[in-house]
Order: sequence, then structure tokens, then C-alpha cells
Amino acid sequence: MLEVRRGETMSIVDKYIHYVNQEVKNDPEKGWDWMVRGFQANKLKTRLLPKKGLSKGYQKLEAMMMSLVADSLSHEGSYVWGNIFAPCEILQCFDKRTLSIECLSCYFSGYHLEDYFIDCAQNAGLAPTLCSYHKTFTGAVESGVLKAPEYAVTTSLSCDGNLNTFRYLEKKIGVPFTFLDVPYDCDPESVDYLADQLREMTKSLEKVFGRRFDEDRLRQIIQVENETRKSLLRFYELEKEHYYPGEIISQLYLMMGTHLLMGTEEFRNLVNFMVKDIQTYPRFEGKRILWVHLLPFYQETLRSYFNGSRRYQVIASDIVLDYANELDASDPFRALAVKTIRNIYNGSYAYKAEALGQFAREVDADAVIHFCHWGCKQASGGSVLLKEKMKEMGIPMLILDGDGIDKRNSHDGQIKTRLEAFLEILDEEDGEESDAGRKNRIDGKKEKAC
Amino acid sequence: MLGYICKYAPIEIFESMGVQMHRIEPEVSNFNQADLRMHPNVCSFAKGVLEEVMTEDYEGVILTTCCDSIRRLYDVLKEQLPDRFIYMLDTPRITKDAGIRLYENRIRQMVREYQQFSGKCFDEERFLSLLKKRKAEKEKSERERNGAGSGLSVGIAGARANQNIKKILEEKGAAVAFDLTCTSLDRKILVEEDQVMTGYVRGLLSQFPCMRMEEAAGRDQLILKYAHSADGIIYHTVQFCDNYAYEYAWLKEILKRPMLLLETDYTRQSYGQILTRIEAFLESLGREKKTKKTGTGGKQTMYVMGIDSGSTSTNAVIMDQDRRIKAFAVVRTGAKSGESARKVLEQVLAQADLKREDISRIVSTGYGRVSIEFADENVTEISCHGKGAHYFNPKVRTILDIGGQDSKAIHLNEKGEVTDFVMNDKCAAGTGRFLEMIARSLEMDIDQLGPEALKSTEEIEITSMCSVFAESEVISLIAQNKEKKDIANGVCRSIANKSYSLMKRVGLEPEFMMTGGVAKNPGVVRAVEEKIGSRLYICPEPEIVGAAGAAIYALEAEE
Repeated sequence: MLEVRRGETMSIVDKYIHYVNQEVKNDPEKGWDWMVRGFQANKLKTRLLPKKGLSKGYQKLEAMMMSLVADSLSHEGSYVWGNIFAPCEILQCFDKRTLSIECLSCYFSGYHLEDYFIDCAQNAGLAPTLCSYHKTFTGAVESGVLKAPEYAVTTSLSCDGNLNTFRYLEKKIGVPFTFLDVPYDCDPESVDYLADQLREMTKSLEKVFGRRFDEDRLRQIIQVENETRKSLLRFYELEKEHYYPGEIISQLYLMMGTHLLMGTEEFRNLVNFMVKDIQTYPRFEGKRILWVHLLPFYQETLRSYFNGSRRYQVIASDIVLDYANELDASDPFRALAVKTIRNIYNGSYAYKAEALGQFAREVDADAVIHFCHWGCKQASGGSVLLKEKMKEMGIPMLILDGDGIDKRNSHDGQIKTRLEAFLEILDEEDGEESDAGRKNRIDGKKEKAC
Repeated sequence: MLGYICKYAPIEIFESMGVQMHRIEPEVSNFNQADLRMHPNVCSFAKGVLEEVMTEDYEGVILTTCCDSIRRLYDVLKEQLPDRFIYMLDTPRITKDAGIRLYENRIRQMVREYQQFSGKCFDEERFLSLLKKRKAEKEKSERERNGAGSGLSVGIAGARANQNIKKILEEKGAAVAFDLTCTSLDRKILVEEDQVMTGYVRGLLSQFPCMRMEEAAGRDQLILKYAHSADGIIYHTVQFCDNYAYEYAWLKEILKRPMLLLETDYTRQSYGQILTRIEAFLESLGREKKTKKTGTGGKQTMYVMGIDSGSTSTNAVIMDQDRRIKAFAVVRTGAKSGESARKVLEQVLAQADLKREDISRIVSTGYGRVSIEFADENVTEISCHGKGAHYFNPKVRTILDIGGQDSKAIHLNEKGEVTDFVMNDKCAAGTGRFLEMIARSLEMDIDQLGPEALKSTEEIEITSMCSVFAESEVISLIAQNKEKKDIANGVCRSIANKSYSLMKRVGLEPEFMMTGGVAKNPGVVRAVEEKIGSRLYICPEPEIVGAAGAAIYALEAEE
């Protein structure tokens, strides 16, 4: 995402961001053109001058996501709006990119526009307690900045905002959309119910884009998706041993990859590259953090503790790998339906807590941090249940309250105190604990939670 | 007894099995259980249900997958009450045949599980006869209702609404034209003898759709249709339930009827906040029924009095029959608003050189208006500010009133009638109290804060949206050796930003006026003027605008 780096005081980038920020408010149409040009410039920058201190894989990942956004937005008709769980595999069959409204909101915040857009949405009457990603995106539409694509796709997974935001945008600026109702349970009947909706969606897309849907192509995409997921699991295995410098934002880029570019060869090749590349890095001796839910990539204290740190590394996030099984490419619609229904964000929290417990064990996490993003009831409402589960397993867990995008809802002092106290506890534990003790903890014999 | 919360819950099935079904409508005084087991930002209704189920003796609860908060409520209840029948019924959002099929099977599965849990038995014949009975009862009550023919005027739409809204409307003499919230709609009962369950499920899913349903896309047209039968609409939302605000934002643009956005949080404490808003709304619709009509009986020159009991100051105005202000007084509100009112009464009478019996009528307004025993009538501060503002400057269309504990924006038409208003009385940020807190942190007198802000040379932004966090942000700025004048200006700008949002929501039509004690703060006035890009009209005594409006109400009643 477009951001100013430390030390670059009032650099050209700063000046450009400031200019665009003002232009958007004065002349939304022109402002939008400047925003897209800025994304294009940043695409070149991430390719030619990647961030120092980042591993090569994460550098390439950042450049790939910048390209996805910049190139799509520069070419009308090349993308649809989606939410993060929209089946990008089906859109790829029509040569369309899926740009999720959550991710686009993050990119808009690169121009420090999130507060302006959020205020626009709230002034229009949307609830102040609504998720800030949805408010940022809706505000961008309300303010007249954003250009509408031909079509949109959303799911009822994982939050109430999805159907409501897309329905509001359809009424407001006339973007038609497919809504996928994801059932709560995963029995064969529910799978059929969703698979039929997916099939129906391809018919709608055929009409909108004026071309035939090719089921064989979907099978191939799912094949690539399976290879990617397998590689990603291998990467997590290797991460247990190796230090692979990244930033908290790297997890968001990975999430974009596994949700918006899943099934593409370029993303599979990148994950394959990361698998090779990580093996050239030294051993990691620090604390391994599993991050649950969204990451406030702008947050000062979190950046200072985790970005490129040899002491504490965010090794994985549940938002990256929210479904870990192989898909049955021979029955692609049912496979995508199962993938969506069995996503850890769907169904009961007991299912999610169980899956997260298993994930924490597999990636050998020393601790879990659950970030309660402002307005996200489905995640925040289960945070105490997850903490109980982690306590049973003997994995320390910290709950942080804040906002994934709106800086005004994240108070640095509060986050800093909580995080530092938590890391002190982890470090203290390190002094006390032998290897055998560590093993016991992972086996769930020692109870400790914060 | 089984509890349930949602109109899509198939309660008739359980009733046919002899189970008492109770719709949970919590009214709680705290969210202790929810704060401990969920998260403060979960929807207030879900938190209220948790409190109630944890304390009351329910055999179980039937929940539906209606929203994120209810899904998490299920998880917590299931964990806390493993021996009870806590059931999550997955309700499809699609109401076409595929949805009906899926829902029917889900319901059958639930019945099997309940039979196992309770030992009770479901019998389709019994179920059918119950449905027939219910359908007949419903038709009878509809006939009776249609025959009643009343002067209904206010419709209710939006999220589930507790009974207080209707209660207040009834008390204030207004009738309910329609109620489209999910707690009040009649059930749609379909009886299909050859496929009893399928017909029943089809009926359930074809009720007026709630916002989670795919079909809700057509709700706006239905609401527009209903709206013709009402003078105004109360659009209700629940705190931390964001779904209905989308519809409000949309209806605001297309609906040609006055609409009040009313948010509640299912606590007993919210009653007062609802009351003020509904009263003001009814006043703006011009349908308010006068509460008292005793009259004090004056002679010769007629004098009336308006008295505004606010949280910070209590203000009184005496006006003659020619609408001239004879005297006014402002006193600090003490712990008991009734005592402050008596004090201001004595002062204003002394200033006017009049006695109590010279006053023909007294109208009270403001937060403490109901506690003023000597008033003949009470009118909300919203209507009184509108009336008062029009009295001082008839060109004013948008009023910003910032008082001690709330702030509001009011839109007036050319006759000075209130056509729209929004009110913030839930959050201290953007109020006079907030300024007092900050002045204390800056170790300066509240009166100094504004003039100090005008001297500012550096732009500082206070980003926190909560007054408590903003105060700690200010303390950090002090620690960073930032100048007091710049911090003071940052605080004034933060208030201006909040105020701007309120004013924008009522339309930002010029000319603008600011009332209330904070209008005396030149720092805030400048910041608001910069934000709206226009001048604010401020009358010489901005604190007495509400009291002056109340006095005019008294005059109008006497006329």
C-alpha cells in the first residue's frame, strides 16, 4: 500500500499524498485520476526500489498486490468489486480480477483519506459503529470519488455488512451484484444449496460479460489453487526454522493473495519462490506470534515491535489460511461451496476456536494476538471464547482493541501498554522454561493466558 | 418455557407440542455478563438477551442465524448453559424454493433434536389444527382493527423496537399508523393441508423481509407505500446493530415524510433519551397533545415565562404579550434541578419587578423540564430552541446548540418550525462538559479557553473521538511541551468537526445560528465558522434562546 516511510520527511511521496488528499476533496473526479496515477507510480517503485529489510518474497508480494490494484483500476472493465470471500476463481474464468472493498479501503488510506471517507459515510447516515472498512468504501462512493465497475459479487460470509453495503451501493450508484448466501452448517444439502448459487452466478456473469463460462478452466484454476495451498503449508513448516523478515502488512498482502489471486499461476509461483527463498535465511530464535483477525498495518507500536524484528515475528494469520484442505477439482462448484462453508469464519465459534487451536499447534506458535477491529461483531464477540480455548492449550493470548484502518479508533498508548506487558510475560516465560516445558505447553498441560 | 427472538423462528411448532414460547424483549440495567463473556461492541439487544437468559429460568432458547451478534450470542450461551436446549436454527436469506426446502429440513432436524431433549412429541395433525386456529384468530383481529378507524399518524420502521416507543406515542396522544419492525409484524400463517410443513415454512419466509434477507432490496418501496398513511416515521435502530442504518441513509433521500432516527440500547436508562426525541418529533409534526392546561390567571399586561433547565445552567425569560423580553436570568444548575429552577424564578421575578401571580403561564423546557413543579406545561428543548432562534433571527435555518451535556443540530423552515433535528446526548465529546474537562487538564479557566485558542499559531489535530481518550491525548500533548493555545485550538476544532457532522445531517442550509453556553466560546465559534465556510449568528445571550422559545410557547397557548 502507498505509505510514507520513516525518515522521508516531506519527500516527493509525502507531497504527492498531500496533493491527492486535497484534490480528492476539491474535485473528486480529478482526485480519482491522481489516486490511480499514484498507485501506478508506486507499482514501479515497489518493483524497482523494493523496501529494504524485507525478505525477497515479501518484496515481490508487495509489488504483486500493488500491480493488482493499480492495473485493475487503470483498466475499466477489467475487474469487479467483491468482498474478501467472493469466489475469485469463477471471476478468473471470465478474465476478471476481483477487487475486494476491504482491500481497496486500505489502499485509499495510503492517501490518508480514510477519515474523510468515513465521515462522508457517517454524514450520509451510516452507523458510526459500523466496520470502518465498509464505511471507508461507502464514503468513497458517497463523496463521488470512486468509479463504479460493471458488476459486483458478495457473500453473507463473514459479516452482516457485506449484503447491506453492496445492496446500498446498488441502489446508490447502480452496481448490480450477485449475493451468495452461505449456509451455517456443512451438510450435503447445504453444499448443494451454495453450489447451485455458484452455478447460477456463472449464468449471470455470462450475461453481463457476454461470454461463455468454461468449466474446464475452473478445474485448472482449482488445480493451481491446490498447488498454491500445499506450497503455503510447506512455507509455514519452513517458517518454524527460518527467520523470514516481513512486516505486519505482509500478512495482509498474503491474505490478498490467498483470496483475490488464488488459483492464478503468478501467485502460485510466488509462493513456490518463497518456499525456496526462506531456506536461504538463518534460523529464527525469537517468539512466534499467530495473529488472529485483521492487522492494523499503520499502527506505530505494532510496526515498531514486529516489522523486521528478530525477537518477535508474526508468523501467520488466520485471515491468510482460513481454509486448509485440498479442493476436489473434478467437482468444482461443490468444491468451492465446501471451501466457503468450511471457512473458519463460518459456522459456530467452537469450530473456529478448534481450527485456530490446531493451526497454532501446526505453526508452533508461542502466543496468539487477537485484534478486535472496531465494528466487527463476529470477531470481537468470540474473542473471550478463543482466549478460553488458548488457555486450555496453554498458549498465551492477548486481546487488542482497535481499528484496522481508522487511526482515530486505535489509541497508541493503550495498545502499547498491553502489548509491552504481554511481550514481557512471554520473555519472562522464556527465562523460566526449558525445551521440555515448552513441549508440555504445546501439548496443553500448562495453563497460562493473559 | 423456550425463549426466542426472531420472527422467522417457527414457534407454532413448539406450541403445538405444548411448549410455552416467550419472545425475549430484554430491558436490563447493565451488561455485566456480556462485558465479561462477549465484547462491549456487540449489539445491545444481543447483550440484553444474554443477561436475561443467564438470569431467568428458560428451558432453552431458539436463535436464528440472523446477524453476527446473535451468532456469537449462541456460541456464548451454548458454552455457558450446556444442559439447556440452546439451538441455532440456520435461516436462509434466499426465500425462493431452494431456501424453503433447506429451511424446512433444518426445522425438521430441530424438532427431532428437541423431541430427544424434552421427550415431547411432535404431531402434524395437532400442528395443523393449531395453525388453523391461529389463522382464524388473526383474521378476526384484522377485521376488528380495520373497523376501529383512528387518526393514526406515526409509523415505526427499522430494527426491532421495544414497547417503550409505542407506549410513549400512546401517552402523548399520537397513534401508531404502522409498525414494520420485526417485533410487531403479524405472523403470516399459510395453511396448506397437503403439505402442512412446507406451506408453513413458505409463510414464515414470506413475511416482511428483515435486512438480512436477499428480498430486503424491495423494503424501501414497501415502506414508501406505507408511509403515505402517516404524518411522520420513527426509524428505529439498536446500538451496535448497523444493518438498519443503511436503510435509513437510503430512505432519508427518497422518503418525502418527516423521519426521526431513534437509536436505543435496550437498557432501562435509555427511556429518557427516547422520550425527549419522540416528544420533539411530535412537536415538529404539530400534533402534540398538551399535557397540562391549568393556567395561572394573570391580569392587565400579560406576562409569561419560559424556563430552560439545562445540565449546566438554568435560564429564565419573562416576556410580555407583545413578545418583548421583560427580564432574563441565568443560574448554574446545582445537584437538584428543581431547586435551581426556584432560584432562577426568584431572580427573574426580582429583575422584572413582578410577582409570581403576575405570570399568566410558565412553560418549562430542557433536560430537567419535568422536574419543574411550578410550570404549567413542558415542551422539549428542541422545539423551544427552534422557536427562540426564529424569534431572534427569522432568517436562521440551521441551529447548532451545544449545551453542557448534549449537542444538537436543528433545521427550521421559513416559519421557524422544526423540520429535522439530530441530537448527541450519549457521548461527552463535542459538548460543554468536554471543554470543561480539557480546560481543567490545561489548568485554565473555561472562559479563557476560547480566547486562548484564537492566539494559536500551530495546527494540532486531536484525533480521538472519545472524550476520555481525547483528554489523555491532550495530556500527551502537554507532555510534549505543546503550547496551550495550540492545544486549546485543536480541541475547538475537534468540537467543530463533531458539530459539522451533526449540522450536515440536517442539511446545512444557511443562515446558521449557534446557541447554548458554548456559543460564548470564540475559539469554538471560529472553528465552526471555518468548517461550514459561513458566519454564525449569535445573539447577545445565547444561553436564553431555549427559555425565550418556551416563553413564546406560553404566549401562544394564552393567545
